[in-house]
Amino acid sequence: MDLLKGTGITKLFGGLRALASVDFTVRQGEIVGLIGPNGSGKTTLFNCISGLYKPDFGRIEFEGRRISGLAPHTIAAMGIGRTFQIVRPLMDLTLRENVTIAVLYGRWGLSHMEAAREKASSILEFVGLSDKADSHPGRLALEDRKRLELARALGSGPRIILLDEVFAGLNPKEIEHAVDLTFRIRDEWGITVFMIEHVMKAIMSTCSRIMALHHGVLIADDGPEAVANHPRVVQAYLGAKYARG
Amino acid sequence: MASVCPTKTAKKVVGIALLSAILLVFPWLGPPVYFISFLYTVFMFVCMASAWNLIGGYAGYLSFGHAAFFGTGAYAAAMLTKAVGPGTASNLLCSIPSGLVAAVIALVVGYPCLKLRGPYFAVITLCFAFVVQLSVQNLGVLGGPDGLWIKGMDLPVETGRSILYESMLLLMAITILVVERIEHSKFGAGLRAIKQDEEVAQTMAVNAPRLKMGAFALSAFFPGVAGGLHASYLTYIHPTIVFDVNMSILIVLMALFGGGASWLGPVVGAVLLSFINELLSTFVKAELARIIYGSLFIVVIIFMPNGIMEFIRKRKQTGSPH
Ligand SMILES: Nc1ncnc2c1ncn2[C@@H]1O[C@H](COP(=O)(O)OP(=O)(O)O)[C@@H](O)[C@H]1O
Ligand SMILES: [Mg+2]
Repeated sequence: MDLLKGTGITKLFGGLRALASVDFTVRQGEIVGLIGPNGSGKTTLFNCISGLYKPDFGRIEFEGRRISGLAPHTIAAMGIGRTFQIVRPLMDLTLRENVTIAVLYGRWGLSHMEAAREKASSILEFVGLSDKADSHPGRLALEDRKRLELARALGSGPRIILLDEVFAGLNPKEIEHAVDLTFRIRDEWGITVFMIEHVMKAIMSTCSRIMALHHGVLIADDGPEAVANHPRVVQAYLGAKYARG
Repeated sequence: MASVCPTKTAKKVVGIALLSAILLVFPWLGPPVYFISFLYTVFMFVCMASAWNLIGGYAGYLSFGHAAFFGTGAYAAAMLTKAVGPGTASNLLCSIPSGLVAAVIALVVGYPCLKLRGPYFAVITLCFAFVVQLSVQNLGVLGGPDGLWIKGMDLPVETGRSILYESMLLLMAITILVVERIEHSKFGAGLRAIKQDEEVAQTMAVNAPRLKMGAFALSAFFPGVAGGLHASYLTYIHPTIVFDVNMSILIVLMALFGGGASWLGPVVGAVLLSFINELLSTFVKAELARIIYGSLFIVVIIFMPNGIMEFIRKRKQTGSPH
């Protein structure tokens, strides 16, 4: 079944076409990757899905219901969680408070403080932050801040989670741990995963299917091997490298 | 930290009970009128600063127009008592629907205004308060520039004053209680998330528009009731008195002076500033008093940006502030 489905998603910023009629689907239980050079529109697509941006054209459906045009909190309440590429912790609150708020307003039906706090603690333990639960995000290293993003997204009890470069800036060992965590999110929690990633090795070993964006256009949607060797994908990355170099 | 030791809680309860008892019996002991009316004003400002904190302190939407709700309450009460017929009970009870009128106005105004953030919200609420004041000043039915007289409570002056004192005390207690409950509830948690990062809050399924509306309406309700009581206290209301922009600003200062993060901040801020205000206006020339008052506030904002309560808490925790 298609859990999440987009048809003809177009997003314009003035003269810039950040997304050009993108069609995509994510099926229940999949781990799907989204790759593309910097500025290719990956984060913009996530922003459209989570309702922070309204697509100019096109339609997004979640479990068969239209979500494009709905408010971000409505979309989140329906079961779409997300992390932010540039981490955005609630700075004045402790880690536990950060996650507790997500739990309170999430899909667990826990509006009692104490029960929500317990749930938040177990989620923090799952991502490996239980020893820092009572400190503030300002003191965390980047790796832990990314885990907090993850914990908060899991806090709302989503059916699908959108991960925006949670592996970026991590060392190989931390990446290994994050890959493991991604599988556990799907296998133990039953949450479908849609992830943006730059680290090719990590995404190749995690995803059963990968989509590639280039200048807002979907240029590939296939198994990891096929996408990595896709001539247009190779060209997009090489081109980007030359341009940057 | 996590659990307060029981003797400390017991001490707190006894302290609060004792203070309440003293405040309750105070006006019946025949003290000078001056003290009754001063305490009455303190209660009124504690009530308003506490209610303001719901939207300003927790949600981070600094309203600079709360005098509009106070004034609306006063005028609503004046009109209602005229319609119902004055009397002690009706004068007091009319303040409750007056608060509702203020809350409804907050909903109507909040719907468009709460979409604005930061300084834009502050400026639009300030403008809103001016618009309300000017409208009332030009509306014949509301007395226009002549103001309105409110029929008294057919009681001896002292008794009437004491009863209004007790009513304001009760209103203050209820406001503090409600605000404290909200602070530790799901509602309060959502408001705090909104203050920190509204977009992130929404991606956590926090219904930000609805929560902000709720907080704004509640933050208008209690000042509306206070305004309703105050109309009976003054017996004559005029737009320049009950819609005074200085009152709007004073409410903000009191809440932030004490600290907007917890319910105790606005209480402490309102009490302290009321006392400082009173001392300065009694012992120092008015111009000088304003300068001292302003300087004091600047010092506090620079050295205690999160208010006095937060400053004290940090000091206790670390021994010395950084
Ligand atoms: N809010 C915005 N306003 C204007 N331009 C934007 C905005 N968000 C993204 N863009 C532009 O859209 C393009 C795609 O950005 P983004 O989706 O962040 O890329 P990616 O995540 O793939 O690196 C970029 O050119 C970026 O500058
Ligand atoms: Mg991005």
